Amino acid sequence: MTGPKPELIIRLGSHAEKEYAMKLARFFDGLIVGANLFEATPGATASLLLSVEAKKAKLYVDPMTYAFGPYIDPDSNELRTDLDWIKSDQARKKDGKRITVRDFKRSYKKLALELGDPIMASTAVQAHQLEDGDVRTIFCRNVATYQLNRIRREFQGDKELSDFAGDAPTPAAVFAPYFYIEPTHTETWLDTNVALMTTSAALGLDVPVHAIVCAAAVHLANPKFRERVVKAAKTSGVGGVWLWFSGFFEERADEVSLRNYATLVEDLAEHTTVYALHGGYYSMALWHKGMQGISHGIGYGEQKDVVPVIGQSTPTVRYYLPSVARRLGVPEIERALSGMGIKSPEDFHKKVCSCAVCVGVVSESIEEFAAFGDMHLSHPMSQRKAQTPAAAKRCRYHFLLSRIRERDEMPRKSIQDIRADLAATATTWGMQPSLASSCDHLPRWSRALV
Amino acid sequence: MEFSRESDMTALVARFLRNRSYAQQLSEVGFYEHRMDIYGYSRAHQLTVAVELKLAKWSRAVSQALLYQLCSDLVYIAMPTLAARRVDVALLQEYGLGLIAVDKARCRELVLPRFSHVLRRRYRAEYLALLGEETQR
Repeated sequence: MTGPKPELIIRLGSHAEKEYAMKLARFFDGLIVGANLFEATPGATASLLLSVEAKKAKLYVDPMTYAFGPYIDPDSNELRTDLDWIKSDQARKKDGKRITVRDFKRSYKKLALELGDPIMASTAVQAHQLEDGDVRTIFCRNVATYQLNRIRREFQGDKELSDFAGDAPTPAAVFAPYFYIEPTHTETWLDTNVALMTTSAALGLDVPVHAIVCAAAVHLANPKFRERVVKAAKTSGVGGVWLWFSGFFEERADEVSLRNYATLVEDLAEHTTVYALHGGYYSMALWHKGMQGISHGIGYGEQKDVVPVIGQSTPTVRYYLPSVARRLGVPEIERALSGMGIKSPEDFHKKVCSCAVCVGVVSESIEEFAAFGDMHLSHPMSQRKAQTPAAAKRCRYHFLLSRIRERDEMPRKSIQDIRADLAATATTWGMQPSLASSCDHLPRWSRALV
Repeated sequence: MEFSRESDMTALVARFLRNRSYAQQLSEVGFYEHRMDIYGYSRAHQLTVAVELKLAKWSRAVSQALLYQLCSDLVYIAMPTLAARRVDVALLQEYGLGLIAVDKARCRELVLPRFSHVLRRRYRAEYLALLGEETQR
C-alpha cells in the first residue's frame, strides 16, 4: 500500500525552525504542526502553513489531545493526572508583589478551550469520560473541526490575512483524538482510542481520518496489543495509522522490539496506510514492509517520549553521519576519519556526505569538518562553551538534506541492499574506536529487517 | 579505594607532569562536550599533553582519551594504582595512549604514550593560546 517512495513529513517544533521549513518545503512531502504551537503563535503559524502549502507539501495538524490525558512521570515513574508537564512557572503580580505560580502554559490553556469537553485545563481526561457515545461524538467532531477550520478562522480574524481566508490550507487528513496508552491501564486506553478512531471515521468528513496510536514501547512486545491495533485499523474506517511508541528509540531498541515493530507495520499495511509519527532511518527502511512515511523534527525528534525530560541547557545539535544513520559528536567522528582513510575533502564527500552543506563547509581541508561543532561562550557570564547557532544550523540543514536523499534512494535499494549496507558499515565505521559503541544498532537493524 | 574523588589525583598528576617539564597547565578545560582534567605544555619539548583522570571505569577513560588525541600530542589516562592494574594495557598500546598509576606517594608511568596521529593543529593552537603560548608546531 505504499507510494513510489517513502513520504517525508517534517514536524515543526517552534517558529525558530520556520526558515528550514520554508527553504526545504518543496523537498518534503508534508509538514505537521502541533496544535499547541498553533495556539502559541496562531498568526505566524497560519501564514507559514499558507506558504508551505503553496510549495505543494501536505499539511497536518496534530491535535495534541494526549497532552490532556494521564501520563507516567519520568522522574518518579508514577501515574499522574495533574497535567503538571504542560505547566510552567509563571511570574505574576499579587498585592503589588511579584510572585511565581505554576500554571498551565498559555498555548495549552487556549487549546483546551478550543477542543472543549471533556478536555479541561485542570486535570487529566479519564477514559470513563469518553464512554458515552454522544459525548464522544461531540468531542471527535470538535477535534476534527479544529483541525479543519482553525487556520481559516485565524485568517478571518486577521486584518492582513482575511483576504486569504478562502485560500486557507486544509489538512490532508484529520487526526482522531488520541490518548497515551499507558501500561497500567492498557485495555482501558486501547478501548478508548479505538472508540475515538471509530467515532471520528464515522463523522463523514470530506478528508480522510487518521489515527495516532500513542503507546508505551512495552506494548510492542504484546502480541494481543498488536493484533488489536491491526483489527482496529481494519474495522474502524480510518484511512491511516500513525505509530508512536513512547520510549521506543530505534538506535537503542533490541532486536525483538525492532522485529515486533516491523511486524506491526507489515500487518497494518495490509489494511491501511502506516506512518511513523516520530521515526528515523529504521522506520524509513520499513517502507519496504509497508510504511508509507515518517515524520520527525528539524533538529531532533526521530524519537520522542510522551512526556519529555526537560534538560538544563540547550542540547548540542550533533552531526548526522549518514552511513551510520545517527547523530554523533563532531570529535567522535573526527577521530574516526583517518581510520576510515578520509584525509581530504574529496574523500569526505565520497565516503561521508556530499550534500550542499558539506561540500560548502569541507572544501579546502578535512579539518574544516570541525565547523559543524564550533563552540563559543554564548554570553559573557557563561561558564561553559556551547555550540554556535551557525554550527547548529549547518548540522540541521545537513541532516535534512541527508534525510531527503535517503528518502529518494530508498526505492532504488532492496531490503537486502539495506541490510548488507548496515552490516558492512558495522565493520568499517563500527570498528573505529571512537564510534564502536555508537554503531551497535547497525547489526541489530540488519538482523531485524528480515 | 586510594582516592574518593578524581580531583584528589589532580595535584599529584600535575606535579608529575611538571617534573617532566610540562610547566604550563590548565585543569578542567573543555573540549566540545567533554572536560579534559589536565592539559599541559612543555616549552622544552614543545609538546602538549592531555590527561583523563578516572577512579575506576577505565574503558570510559579510554573513550574520552581517544578524543583528546585530536588536540594534544600525547594523551594519558591516570588512575589509582590498584585500578590501573586492571586496565587493558594492550588496548592502550594499540591506540597510543599512556597510563599513569597514581598513589598518595607518587605517580608512575606504566605505559608510554605515542604521538597522536590524529592531531588537529587548530585545536592544539587554541589550547596553546589559552596557556599564553604561541603556536610553534
